[in-house]
Amino acid sequence: MGFGQFLAAPELKLTIVTYRDIFQNSALEVSRFDEKYEELSAIIKLDPNDISKLVIKDGETVTVKSGAEKVVVKAQISGYEEKHEGVAYMVNSPWSNALISDNTHGTGVPSFKNFEVVVQSAKGEKVTGIKEIF
Amino acid sequence: MKGVARMKGCSSPLECTVEQEAADVDASIEKAAAILKDAKNPLIFGHGNSSSEAQKVAIEIAKRTGAYIDDTSSFCQGPIIEAILQEKLKTCTLDDVRDKADVTVFWGADPANSHPRHLSRYSYFPRGKERQRGWEEDRTLITVDIRKSDTSEIAGNSGFFQIPIKGDAEFMNALVDGLSSKVPKTSFNFDKKKILELSNTLKKAKFGVIGVGLGLLYSLEELEPLFALMDKLNSVSNFHIIPMVGQYNMRGFNHNLFEETGYINRVKFDIESGQAKHGAEYSVVEALKERSVDAALVIGSDPLSSLPLPVARYLADIPLIDIDPCQNLTATKANVTIPCALGGVESGGTAVRMDGVEIELKQIVETDKLSDKEVLTRIMEAL
Repeated sequence: MGFGQFLAAPELKLTIVTYRDIFQNSALEVSRFDEKYEELSAIIKLDPNDISKLVIKDGETVTVKSGAEKVVVKAQISGYEEKHEGVAYMVNSPWSNALISDNTHGTGVPSFKNFEVVVQSAKGEKVTGIKEIF
Repeated sequence: MKGVARMKGCSSPLECTVEQEAADVDASIEKAAAILKDAKNPLIFGHGNSSSEAQKVAIEIAKRTGAYIDDTSSFCQGPIIEAILQEKLKTCTLDDVRDKADVTVFWGADPANSHPRHLSRYSYFPRGKERQRGWEEDRTLITVDIRKSDTSEIAGNSGFFQIPIKGDAEFMNALVDGLSSKVPKTSFNFDKKKILELSNTLKKAKFGVIGVGLGLLYSLEELEPLFALMDKLNSVSNFHIIPMVGQYNMRGFNHNLFEETGYINRVKFDIESGQAKHGAEYSVVEALKERSVDAALVIGSDPLSSLPLPVARYLADIPLIDIDPCQNLTATKANVTIPCALGGVESGGTAVRMDGVEIELKQIVETDKLSDKEVLTRIMEAL
């Protein structure tokens, strides 16, 4: 037993940018209830330094919170050459949409590609299933 | 543009249900009509994956029931399509892009992922009538993005312009300066030499195209910087806009509603006069957020997957009808589900491509299912 177990996992405030992924989209065409779709959708892509700050390893689960909503997704190293600390990427999916506010400042257009979240290690927890999002 | 994955169809087709119990088509249609009749302010939403013929019937149902009618363009490509239909932006067809385009810019768009056949069929790889030497010598691909997307990889380092989040308007203004022989300055200190080189490439284009993606649209608070850039480009060169529309007939819905009402989306019909009211308050997101809607018919879309969760939850709580070929998240919460044939595979019709060209969809597989138009027509009759 180490002292570390009494410390809460560090939280990190990040900006999320959503993007499209051809393989996830192809899985969607087959079925959004298949494992493959979840595997390719319930992910967050992070800068290696943000992975270190969260004290997690590539492939472990994290909780991503925004206001009252949260989802558990798998953290992955983004693989981009350019550093992007503070910015994380999520593929456009019900998991990313769960974190987006409906406040459009009267425009009718939610902030799909630029929103704030708080990320924390969820070591050992399972990814939120598509039907558990609601 | 969806290719083989769409053609193969889904592994779990939608079943016909009423209150989550198996039902026949007649009973579901009757129940759907009853829901719409009982509602004071129904919403008819989706349409992106519906044939133009089905969309026209949906507009008629909206008129008859005094409904809100909207589609996904309400929170994606709507402003660009509106500007094109109002002739504020110069556009061209995808066939022009294939035959003539020598400089293609994808701005906030990653077609290698979002439109997998765009580059190979039209915008980069093919030989065209005036582009016989193909991408190797005859075409220049440029991407402007906040990250190095797969399309940016194809454009190579010299064709990729990485800007910060929300830096699009400023980068556009800097390009206008570059094109006006002024020193292009940005608050994020983008290499001036690189902006001037890009300005020069754009200036020399014989037939230029900008594919506008959601990355650009969501970043702009207003379209003015894009209008200014296009004006400048067309005073020194020849540039066209192509909206990078995602669903196969979203643009068709915009055209059909525009023809009927003068608006491309975000409409509420007055039940007495049939007059169309339009504005942000009639958008799907605002109408649901304000709880102005008391029932919904969704066709050819899965808003429970694509809307922000708080409004999606409200949509799941009100009487809900879902018409689709496939099982989706909206169907899991719907009071009535009605399967329809897959457009362009199991049923024919017409659709409007992202470039505004109307195309004929042919039925290639036999099915017992009703087409989307037939389902809506029967609901209309039951009203």
